Amino acid sequence: MSEMWQDAMVAAFRETASRGVLFLPKLMALVTFLMLGVAMGWLVKVSLMRILNVVRFEVFCERMGLTPALTKAGMKQQIPHLVGRLAFWIVFLFFAFMGVDALDLPATANLMSAVLGFLPNVVAAILVALVGVLLANFTGEAVLIAAVNAQIHGARFIANMVRWGVVIFTVAMVLTQLGIAKEIVVAAFSIIFGGIVLAMAIALGLGGRSIAKEVLERRFGREKSRDEFTHI
Amino acid sequence: MGEGVWEQVQEQCSDVRKVDLVVALPSFNQASTVVPVVQTIVAGLKSSFGHASILFLNADVGSQDGTPDLVRQAVGGSVPFASIRPHTEGMSGSTFALNRFSYSGMPAREEAFRSVFAVTRRLEADACIVLDPSVRTVTAEWVSLLAKPILEKGADYVAPVFNRQRYEGSLTNNLIAPLTRALYGKRVACQIGGGYGFSQKISNFFLENEALWEGDGGRFAIDSWVTTVAVAEGYGVWQTCLGNKVQDIKAGADISMSLAQAVGATFHYMERYQDIWEKQVGSEEVPIVGRPCEIDMESVPIQVDRMLKGFRQGLRDLLPIWEIILAPDTLAGVLELGLRDDEEFRYPLPLWVQTVYDFAVGYHEKVIHREHLLKSLMPLYLGRTASVVLETKGGGPELVQDTVEHGCQTFEVMKPYLIDRWRFQ
Repeated sequence: MSEMWQDAMVAAFRETASRGVLFLPKLMALVTFLMLGVAMGWLVKVSLMRILNVVRFEVFCERMGLTPALTKAGMKQQIPHLVGRLAFWIVFLFFAFMGVDALDLPATANLMSAVLGFLPNVVAAILVALVGVLLANFTGEAVLIAAVNAQIHGARFIANMVRWGVVIFTVAMVLTQLGIAKEIVVAAFSIIFGGIVLAMAIALGLGGRSIAKEVLERRFGREKSRDEFTHI
Repeated sequence: MGEGVWEQVQEQCSDVRKVDLVVALPSFNQASTVVPVVQTIVAGLKSSFGHASILFLNADVGSQDGTPDLVRQAVGGSVPFASIRPHTEGMSGSTFALNRFSYSGMPAREEAFRSVFAVTRRLEADACIVLDPSVRTVTAEWVSLLAKPILEKGADYVAPVFNRQRYEGSLTNNLIAPLTRALYGKRVACQIGGGYGFSQKISNFFLENEALWEGDGGRFAIDSWVTTVAVAEGYGVWQTCLGNKVQDIKAGADISMSLAQAVGATFHYMERYQDIWEKQVGSEEVPIVGRPCEIDMESVPIQVDRMLKGFRQGLRDLLPIWEIILAPDTLAGVLELGLRDDEEFRYPLPLWVQTVYDFAVGYHEKVIHREHLLKSLMPLYLGRTASVVLETKGGGPELVQDTVEHGCQTFEVMKPYLIDRWRFQ
């Protein structure tokens, strides 16, 4: 009995010790990967920020309306800094997932391949979001100026409608790209967009007939320009 | 492109190798006006250049109403004639393109001019004159008024000046001409359309400098930039008073687009010629031929209240954009204008000059998308125009002329402001 107990204890100890010995290199691999992640992330962040500063990316974002949009949303940092931080975390997470994969735990098996498989979707979603925000600001600004120059009442309202229309469309595209509740997103988008169009149609029919008339008359030239002189 | 156009000329006039004068008619769907214009030009050629060798060139950018055939019939066999079709990259023949691409009212007008310059070079012509078939008031005298300064007096470029109604050409008088004068030191009226004269030297220069044709300014506003480039490059610029101009296509019908294209062209060439205009101090008259031009006191209807409404709407809605473009003290001055009543409204000239210079700097610095920047100038321009109308209400032609001249001088005096901001923004 005592011998059996002793054998069981020794076997258990040996098993644990051998597992520990086997696990220790994996743990060290994780730590190494984490340290490498920090170092590589920092390197990528600094390099990227320098490149963006050299190509005057901040000025470009300012011109395209991205910086003001982010400032309005509460982001106080400069965009190159923001991009640098994002790059740091992407690189760090990449190494962290490799480290976790190196542990060879059943719960995290194939984590790295799953992450790598999903990565293109994330990159595509980020690009779509970026282009969407730029496009929303650009079209909003263009519509605002055009409406003001045409002396249309509610120019700012029309411009905001266009801007938010593009933003909503972008959000729907980003969520679809990430595969998050695809059906709900499509349904919600259809309802919101359809609702906006319906609301605009009703508003135009009930309250905005005179504005629509004014715009259409000006567009098709039925109403002669009241200033007959040429400016050029 | 030059080769393709030259082949077209050779097919029609194989015996023409060298001429003294090329008379060009860029056209696009102008069947209703072109015949009397061509007949008048031919009469002018016979009376003034009876012994000179001439090529009458029609550069048509895709008319669908038979304009080239009508031109050919109207010319008859009186002078050698060729009709060419410039390469227009699909811009011709579309009414959409007409509205979208050029305030001149003619799509691909730039390509038509370029083809004319190419033919002028191949024919080694001493001069080429370009006339608009949509102008109903062309007279036989225009031919000699445009060509003789080049052929007999050594001019390189002859710009047109017309009799104008009061306030006509407000954008030109309040912005483009004063700015051009302050920048390059030549007192040119910067009026557009109707007719131009070019020496072989300047047309070769235009052809050889591909960069001149690039960018929106170069592509869509040739009527604006030929004068700018001629004065900036130091060519011999003359002006000729052609009398009245009644045109079927009203150039600049879409004001904000016209403003964006014409002002954009001026700003565009400010970047190219920075070294020249930074050194230029003061200005001088350019030689002028023809009967002196007059300002007609008859004024066309002007809705000052509508202009002020446009200005105030801009002040309300475009302020976030103007905050990016205008210097703080300029913006403060503009904001103050919003408080004034219609009758007391005055947009002070120094403030207007400062506004224009701030926009030029903003364009240079690309603080926002350039087309947006140019179009957002529109309400401010309406404010200044309304102010000029109110300032000169009840005055004679001298007062209008004095106001324009005073504007030009103020642009010159305040030029250091532009240079400072341009350099140290």
